[in-house]
Amino acid sequence: MLAVDLTGDSVKAKNGAMVAYEGEMTFKKRTGGGEGLRGIMTRRLTGEQMAVMEVKGHGTCYFADRASEINLVSLQGEKLYVEASNLLCTDAALRTGTSFTGLRGSSQGNGLFTTTVEGTGQAALVSDGAAVVLRVTPQTPLQVDPGAYIAHTGGLKQHFQAGVNFRALIGESGGESFQIRFEGDGLVYVQPSERNTIGGEV
Amino acid sequence: MNGPVIHDVWTLPVDDNINPYAFSVDLNGQWFLQKGKMVAYYGQIDFQGVGLGHLDHLIAHSFHSPLHAADWVVAEGQGKMVLADRAFDVNSYDLDDGNLSIRSGNLLAFQPSLSLKQSIVPGFLTLLGTGKFVAASNGPVVFMEPPIRVDPQALVGWADCPTPCHHYDHEYLRGFLGAVRSHTGIGGASGEEHQFEFVGAGTVLLQSTEEVVAEISVGETGGTGS
Repeated sequence: MLAVDLTGDSVKAKNGAMVAYEGEMTFKKRTGGGEGLRGIMTRRLTGEQMAVMEVKGHGTCYFADRASEINLVSLQGEKLYVEASNLLCTDAALRTGTSFTGLRGSSQGNGLFTTTVEGTGQAALVSDGAAVVLRVTPQTPLQVDPGAYIAHTGGLKQHFQAGVNFRALIGESGGESFQIRFEGDGLVYVQPSERNTIGGEV
Repeated sequence: MNGPVIHDVWTLPVDDNINPYAFSVDLNGQWFLQKGKMVAYYGQIDFQGVGLGHLDHLIAHSFHSPLHAADWVVAEGQGKMVLADRAFDVNSYDLDDGNLSIRSGNLLAFQPSLSLKQSIVPGFLTLLGTGKFVAASNGPVVFMEPPIRVDPQALVGWADCPTPCHHYDHEYLRGFLGAVRSHTGIGGASGEEHQFEFVGAGTVLLQSTEEVVAEISVGETGGTGS
């Protein structure tokens, strides 16, 4: 569960994620994630839809989602790429948007697009079990199962890696034939579970 | 506020837990894995299905469970590998020239120095030999000593003791009322009329819930979502 202290400022949170609050709060549905008309259109077109509300007021607001684990990410001007279904809450100062991910998205059934969060502030991610944060350096690229990936930051290039060989075609595949390979400098957030429970529409 | 611990290829633990739900294997050679339990890895690792091929010799030595062959792969190479299973608790255990039976859905990975066999009890696998294996449980594992009777759903596995037998609570089901109860459920069945009974010396592993770790049906790998 995530507790957010508000003193007249606001946060953006996943619709319906509030479980309790103390003090005075107002909740306002923000169509299209508060990204304006262009944002609404982009999200509609890309299918990376995000039901967001703006919470404003004085006091403490508690957010939770399906008893899943919450991970806080502090951003200092960098860009966080995250699946919309894994994004619970962001500071109002953070800008959200949509970006094209290529083949990786389709491989995990989350569509071809992902959500970006940019600016300075904190974002809260939900994961099925406490997320493991793995650092990628140019010397140590990382391969991640598409179902376990939740987010990444930094300058990372991602490739869709398929280890399909003739054995896969005759039904003796390794079962780990598809991975996302991250190269560059940055951090990758991985959940200790493969997406089935949390990946759908919440 | 501090962010979560950031791991890289050097700080990932060697054959130990990263958090209660994730386990890091320092791979240098081969490990057997259940399909779809690898969530991330560093380094050069190949995943080969259990079948014919250059791993023939290894499989002949360590894998005697044709029923489960489709669910297992061999990870081969060098690097660090993170294993996890649907955010269940994950733990590693060392076997020293021992034998241990475990519910097949709970076993995530094992070293090839162990030999995997199918247990006589349906749905369970037996590991023989010396080495390390990784298993998942729904909630922490509790270790008990026989003689003990356990609920079949809470049983994770057992080590070094004779195979269990069934135990039925006949007192409860005796007589006319008992017969009505057992056939119709009218009058209330406690749901605890049937247990596994363990006797002899050894250890019994229980999980703290009766929700069984669901087995992934053959041919479905869960994560690849193709």
